[in-house]
Amino acid sequence: MTDLQLPAWAPWAMGIGLAAFIGMVALSVRRNHGVKRSLFAAPYTLWMFIFTLLPCILIAYYAFTDANGHFTFNNFSSFWDSNYIMRENLRTVAGDEMAATVARGSVNVDTLVYSLWMAFLCTAVSLVLGYPAALFMADRKMRLGPTLVVLFIIPMWMNFLLRTIAWMSLLEDNGLINAFLQWIGIGKMQLMYNQQAVLLGMVYNFLPFMVFPIYTSLSKLDPKLAEAAQDLGCNEFRTLYKVTVPLSLPGVISGITMVFMPSVTTFFIPRVLGGGNTRMFGDLIESTFKTAGNWNLGSALSLIMMVLILISLSILRKADPNGEGGGIV
Amino acid sequence: MSEQPRMIYLENISKEYDGVTVLDDINLYIRKKEFVTLLGPSGCGKTTTLRIIGGFEYPSTGRVMFEGKDITDMPPYKRRVNTVFQKYALFPHLNVRDNIAFGLKIKKMSRGEIDKRVDKMLNLVNMAGYGKRSVDSLSGGQQQRIAIARSLVNEPEVLLLDEPLGALDLKLRKEMQLELKSMQQQLGITFLYVTHDQEEALTMSDTIVVMNAGHILQIGTPKTIYDEPANAFVANFIGESNIIRGTMVRDELVNFSGVDFPCVDSGFGENTPVDVVVRPEDIVILGEDIGQLTGTVKSVLFKGVHYEMMIECGDFTWKVHSTTMQPTGSRVGLSIVPFNIHIMHPMKEEAK
Repeated sequence: MTDLQLPAWAPWAMGIGLAAFIGMVALSVRRNHGVKRSLFAAPYTLWMFIFTLLPCILIAYYAFTDANGHFTFNNFSSFWDSNYIMRENLRTVAGDEMAATVARGSVNVDTLVYSLWMAFLCTAVSLVLGYPAALFMADRKMRLGPTLVVLFIIPMWMNFLLRTIAWMSLLEDNGLINAFLQWIGIGKMQLMYNQQAVLLGMVYNFLPFMVFPIYTSLSKLDPKLAEAAQDLGCNEFRTLYKVTVPLSLPGVISGITMVFMPSVTTFFIPRVLGGGNTRMFGDLIESTFKTAGNWNLGSALSLIMMVLILISLSILRKADPNGEGGGIV
Repeated sequence: MSEQPRMIYLENISKEYDGVTVLDDINLYIRKKEFVTLLGPSGCGKTTTLRIIGGFEYPSTGRVMFEGKDITDMPPYKRRVNTVFQKYALFPHLNVRDNIAFGLKIKKMSRGEIDKRVDKMLNLVNMAGYGKRSVDSLSGGQQQRIAIARSLVNEPEVLLLDEPLGALDLKLRKEMQLELKSMQQQLGITFLYVTHDQEEALTMSDTIVVMNAGHILQIGTPKTIYDEPANAFVANFIGESNIIRGTMVRDELVNFSGVDFPCVDSGFGENTPVDVVVRPEDIVILGEDIGQLTGTVKSVLFKGVHYEMMIECGDFTWKVHSTTMQPTGSRVGLSIVPFNIHIMHPMKEEAK
């Protein structure tokens, strides 16, 4: 662990930001000869500035500087090639020939690709499980629908760390499931510390974020549309894929966003259920900051992550321009 | 119409929702190429009847027969009927052309044939050139036309229309009424039309079925329904009427407001309580001393074609339509010719 290494200009930036903010408030009050309604947003705006905008600026600053605060692209080179710094150091000490013997270290890129893959799997599984569930919940003829909605919400009242840890006691070697497997004669199985366990944990935690946008989208559909499709010759299945599914796409897109984003960045679930055997990008960022103490590389990795998320958000936004899915897109 | 064979036959249909009876033992047949209107106030069960024929609801008891076959349990997509929904229910993710082509594509018709039929339909509903438009960009009247085209393109044996003109303004509604009627005659399709608008029913229908509280009160041609309403409810619902309690003294003589009136009805028995219905336009205003009844003009309203006057005679106030105006407060005599006095049995409470 290293101490917080704020750049020298950080207090100045904060000061200027605050001054600008207070100035804006003052101007707004003067121009409107009284308190404008937007002023009520001031506490939240201030909060956002200090805890969201400022950290973002700091991350950008660290990502483009070295340990001494000098501008550099080395952090991004290190993302692409984890041995980059080592090789450059070797180059200064022992020359180009020795430097060439150091191969490219692909761990950072590999971890990112692996994270994207896991997030993709998690999203796909959630969609396959979540769509029928949402369909069932939104069906007005199913009296169990509202009950199911509540059953989906109840676990969300509990802290997600607790929920994940709870899975440990189910999956561990002497856990509930293994006890049951042994009892019915199958014998113990290695359920934890593998990719499946991580995927399970992710799907379990993120599934509601898939179900609810789709559910919202489906329950807003006019039931007459499905009737019209049936009237025009569609059986139940065709009605589903000709009318219901296309019209619930905004919800699906929103669900995909809300599952994919946290899946890519998750680090707690792979740590608890993967036990270090599976490393995801969130873990990598976390350990780069905390274990390796490399704030600059950690910031560069975070920035890459952020840019990736922003790109996918803008793509998804195009698919659902009106935000009809009711999600955060 | 009577020579046409029966197409749809509803046999002892009842429908209950959570113990509430919506339809009570409905019996109704619809002939081929007939324009039948189910008319009644909201909640009378007319839409439920339509939905049972469309296959969206199943009757609690009774059978739905289609050309002699029992289709009670047949799902909607197998029935040879199409529905025009109240709020159109056009598919928002499809453009006008794809909305109309929807049913044909499901039937796996060839592209050329689909295009030909869709174009024909667009012409029929005066919407040629709108094929590429999104349905959200259309006005209510245009959406209405597309909804009708989407159903008619499938060449259904029966077209069910659930208050299709309810959302349109008066002028457009009148236009569409005539268009629908001419379309129906042109295509020779059976129409089953649901409305609460009595004028619409009178304008368009071959047969009107007046419903209230889950019962059919009267089935007949517009003229029969208007001229010879079966009971006071029908008389009141179709057009305007004066309904007064009276006593049938003997055949062809009825007493109300304390005066004996000759009439044309018979077979009610002697001294039987009856409901007497007189249309406002059937009351003739005469001089004070020569009428059958004498009264005072309480109010006068100008209605365009005629004046509507409320004339108080004893304890009953008559609504009278006349092209000549009598000033408020003047004393007048009223007379009703026997032919215009309609005698009916007092209504059972349940059907009111």
